[in-house]
Amino acid sequence: MNRNLSKIIIMIFLIAGIFIAIYPFLVMIGNSFEVFTFSLPNPPRIFPKEFTLDNYREVIFDYEIHKYFFNSFSITVLTTVFVIMLAALSAYAFAKIPFLGRNVLFQVYIFTLMIPGVLNIIPQFLTINSVGLIGTRFGLILLYVGTGICGNTFFLKGFFQQIQNELLESVVIDGGNHFTIFTKIVIPLAKPAIATLAVLTFLGTWDDFFTAKVILAANQNVLTLPIIIHRINGQHATKFGLVFAASLITLIPVIILYIVAQKYFIVGGLTEGAVKE
Amino acid sequence: MENTKKALPFILPGFILAVIFIFYPTIRNIVISFSEYNLIQRTMTFKGLDNYIALIKEPQNRFFLAYRNNILYALVVTPITLFLGLILASSINSLKRFSVSFRTIYYLPVITSWIIAGLVFKYLFNAGIQGPINYLLLEQLHIIKEPINWLKTEWGGNFAIWVLGIWKNVGYAMVLYMAALQGISKSYYEAAEIEGANRWQILRRITIPSIKPITYFLTIQLLIGSFNVFLQVLVLTGGEPRGQTSSLQYLLYSRTFELYKFGEGAAIGVITAVSILVFTILLNKSLHQDNVFGAK
Repeated sequence: MNRNLSKIIIMIFLIAGIFIAIYPFLVMIGNSFEVFTFSLPNPPRIFPKEFTLDNYREVIFDYEIHKYFFNSFSITVLTTVFVIMLAALSAYAFAKIPFLGRNVLFQVYIFTLMIPGVLNIIPQFLTINSVGLIGTRFGLILLYVGTGICGNTFFLKGFFQQIQNELLESVVIDGGNHFTIFTKIVIPLAKPAIATLAVLTFLGTWDDFFTAKVILAANQNVLTLPIIIHRINGQHATKFGLVFAASLITLIPVIILYIVAQKYFIVGGLTEGAVKE
Repeated sequence: MENTKKALPFILPGFILAVIFIFYPTIRNIVISFSEYNLIQRTMTFKGLDNYIALIKEPQNRFFLAYRNNILYALVVTPITLFLGLILASSINSLKRFSVSFRTIYYLPVITSWIIAGLVFKYLFNAGIQGPINYLLLEQLHIIKEPINWLKTEWGGNFAIWVLGIWKNVGYAMVLYMAALQGISKSYYEAAEIEGANRWQILRRITIPSIKPITYFLTIQLLIGSFNVFLQVLVLTGGEPRGQTSSLQYLLYSRTFELYKFGEGAAIGVITAVSILVFTILLNKSLHQDNVFGAK
């Protein structure tokens, strides 16, 4: 086959695909600057006819989206920090300390990964309700951290295992204990893996609707961005400009993170850990 | 024993939280599914299989419709996502320049949250002539005569849910396939070329077997994801008309937190979890058998 021709075909295919991939984003951006009318623009357009910031103004001043932005941000950051700290500790023990029942417990951890955590939302809700933490950020963070332990432990254990034992023994000879090994050697060496996990946890928590809605819905002050976006859509089903303005504000941290930490998004390491047999 | 003592401070904090929020809820969920739970009085009465029977016997068949939709989602979205992901990956890998730019852009839908993506798709599938999909089909391509009320009909709604799932997942499959394709040793291809193998033979004999572990991994992930369909339904269709576009998780949510039928909600959770386990085991078996045949 003619090589140049096939290259041109591939290029056209890829560019057409790009259009499909980003068209929804263009719609969102264009509409967020559109003046509100009771019907959608006809014919559909990407660039607004009259450019306005009204939607952003309304989202900020009437809906006070910065409040919910702060809620989302604090919940996400705290969840990410704690889940990774606890998972790293657990993973270290699974990887480097041959304690009693280690293999059995690890099998149990893996087993729970096959069942999506949200299926247990009812007893989780009841547990948090019984300690009076429904409608609090703390209750939600606890639940996120608790349900994130097994998966993150599983992932980090694979990385910790690859660290050579000789490296660790040198610390033991110098009189160091497991905590010294953990903080001085294992954590610095596993930084890329930890960064990948941090990005994934951040994204998953930032985007979560289901769990946040169940735990927080009772208290307007602590709601997160996805719940607010859904609420705006519920109140003004046709005001897409408003919904999209709030959506774009929600997307900003994700896009910044994507630009800054792109190599940790494109998860080469994750697949190696999970797929290699 | 000494090792166990040393391991405790590392294991315990995570383990306690896992017990409270994963292990115990899993067991309690099963118990609740056999009971009637009253949230206000906090009483639980054993009801045997009542919740399960109520789900099965319901006149509108909402449970079966939801289950069917999860299965259809898996059957439609998984193969198309894998196929498109592989095509994109090999196309991008064949480029000398711009491959990073393409990859970056194609990955954008993956990092966008379901709720935001869902709301844009609600706009795209708008019922009127102003809805971009209707506009494209009617004014541009002249395939349809009048605008389709996508999100209010059984198959229009399911179609929109599938398209959203594919749009959101293809980039993920693409990235994993790109890595897998780059990992195939060039010497295989050189040898095949010397032997005079054609493109089709190279694809079937070298590429597809080499990326099998990734295909397996993705299939499992997408299968589990298929039982996680929730926001798509919540945002796009709300399960309308009459549960015909619903999903198990959506049904769980509405039964529990809108109708306060905790027992039925828990029963849906148990059935979903068991289904995932069974499908994963079956998939595992069939793919391993495949290995045996391949080794002949």
